[in-house]
Amino acid sequence: MAVSSHELIAGFADPVQASQQVFRAALKVMSEPGTLVEIDYAETAPKGLDLSTWQLALSLLDPNTRVWLSPTLAANDAVISNLRFHCQCPLVDNPFDADFVIAWHSELPLLAELNWGTAEYPDRSTTLIVQVPALSDEPDWTLSGPGIEHTRSLYVAGLSEPFRSDLTRSRQRFPLGIDTFWCCDNRMAALPRTTQIEPFKKAEEAC
Amino acid sequence: MSTATGYNFAYLDEQSKRMIRRAILKGVAIPGYQVPFGGREMPLPHGWGTGGMQVTASVIGEADKLKVIDQGADDTTNAVSIRRFFAHTAGVETTEQTAEATLIQTRHRIPERPLQADQILIYQVPIPEPLRFIEPRESETRKMHALSEYGAMQVKLYEDVARFGHIATSYDYPVMVNNRYMMDPSPIPKFDNPKMSMMPALQLFGAGFEKRIYAVPPFTQVESLDFDDHPFEVQSWDEACAICGSDHSFLDEVITDDNGSKMFVCSDTDYCRERVDQGFVGTAADLSTSEQETEQ
Ligand SMILES: [Zn+2]
Repeated sequence: MAVSSHELIAGFADPVQASQQVFRAALKVMSEPGTLVEIDYAETAPKGLDLSTWQLALSLLDPNTRVWLSPTLAANDAVISNLRFHCQCPLVDNPFDADFVIAWHSELPLLAELNWGTAEYPDRSTTLIVQVPALSDEPDWTLSGPGIEHTRSLYVAGLSEPFRSDLTRSRQRFPLGIDTFWCCDNRMAALPRTTQIEPFKKAEEAC
Repeated sequence: MSTATGYNFAYLDEQSKRMIRRAILKGVAIPGYQVPFGGREMPLPHGWGTGGMQVTASVIGEADKLKVIDQGADDTTNAVSIRRFFAHTAGVETTEQTAEATLIQTRHRIPERPLQADQILIYQVPIPEPLRFIEPRESETRKMHALSEYGAMQVKLYEDVARFGHIATSYDYPVMVNNRYMMDPSPIPKFDNPKMSMMPALQLFGAGFEKRIYAVPPFTQVESLDFDDHPFEVQSWDEACAICGSDHSFLDEVITDDNGSKMFVCSDTDYCRERVDQGFVGTAADLSTSEQETEQ
């Protein structure tokens, strides 16, 4: 699919500064898993992409990053044209070949279909960027691990039960694994492969 | 913000920054693991630590306040040059105060003042691979890390115990990060190793020659290697700092006159200054007071 010029929107007004600030937001959420941030360095996103997804793409993607898009996004002319024009990232047909997967929560590939890295190079793995309908600190998942002093709670809406349990169990294969950004409108959170996920337990009622 | 015209912001080109940024995110996700990165060399004088410079250049933004230390001091030639470099190419504010810095690039020390959340400590690393002197081949050390095969390092440290009766390694003392990866903490004194564990600040490590980046996220366990019968111990001194009286800092021995008189002072100059400002005094102050009294 070629670039459709009528679909093109502006990128960052100040690409150098905005890329740096979005990266720092990404660094914060990846190093403090479950922390929510809002990023507002771009005014609009191509139709089909959340504002946070679009800003992550502008900040992190380039001709050196292979990207796989979930079916609805891959069929979206505005998404394809703007990623091609602004990021020049090659698009791949198989999620296993991707450095970054950008997907709707309802169109996620199986975790097993992604690249988890190798024992000697666990960094050569796919990073997942998932667009979800809601993202908050409501108690749903209880998170622990590096970057979390005690525990942190996170609610990521719209994930299927099998995906949630696959992600929880994937921690047993550390250092192999998938690092995930969750995006919703201008909000963003992340879970690196080190984060242990447990379902929130309501405090036992006193007798 | 005024930056020198004709330069990229913070000197590095945007494509190299993106590559390094992606490597930093991987490093954070796999604590203690060395992420290889590509990108161009930063043509800098020896001693500036190109790895630390590349990480700082990729992380720094207009809102940052940068502190640079070398052996604990802000006023060495290297520290001053690096600070000026980023003030010039990124137009950022610089500071000597640990408390108000958002980014701290360091060689050889961790500040004495406990670091806080949202601060980032960036280490210059000469040799990132802790197993390199045991195994020169990268393909082999990769396998050793993959299999957590760290017995050779335990043997090396135990040879110390057999020879000297204690573990003689006092700098570059190897650590285990998050119970998984053995990591070289860069040539800091082992005195600083305990500060790395459960630190609220993010720690990033850059090795320019070997092009490796690694990281310790905030609140991550970092343990120094030891043995049940020879537990890890940090350096300690019988003296206190002659300037501020601190009995808990890493001390440097300095010669004070032509007769070879010596005194011990904090290696962290900002920490020492902060204590003096708070009214703490050491024996050097007592000496000068008594001299004045004698003169009167
Ligand atoms: Zn002192």
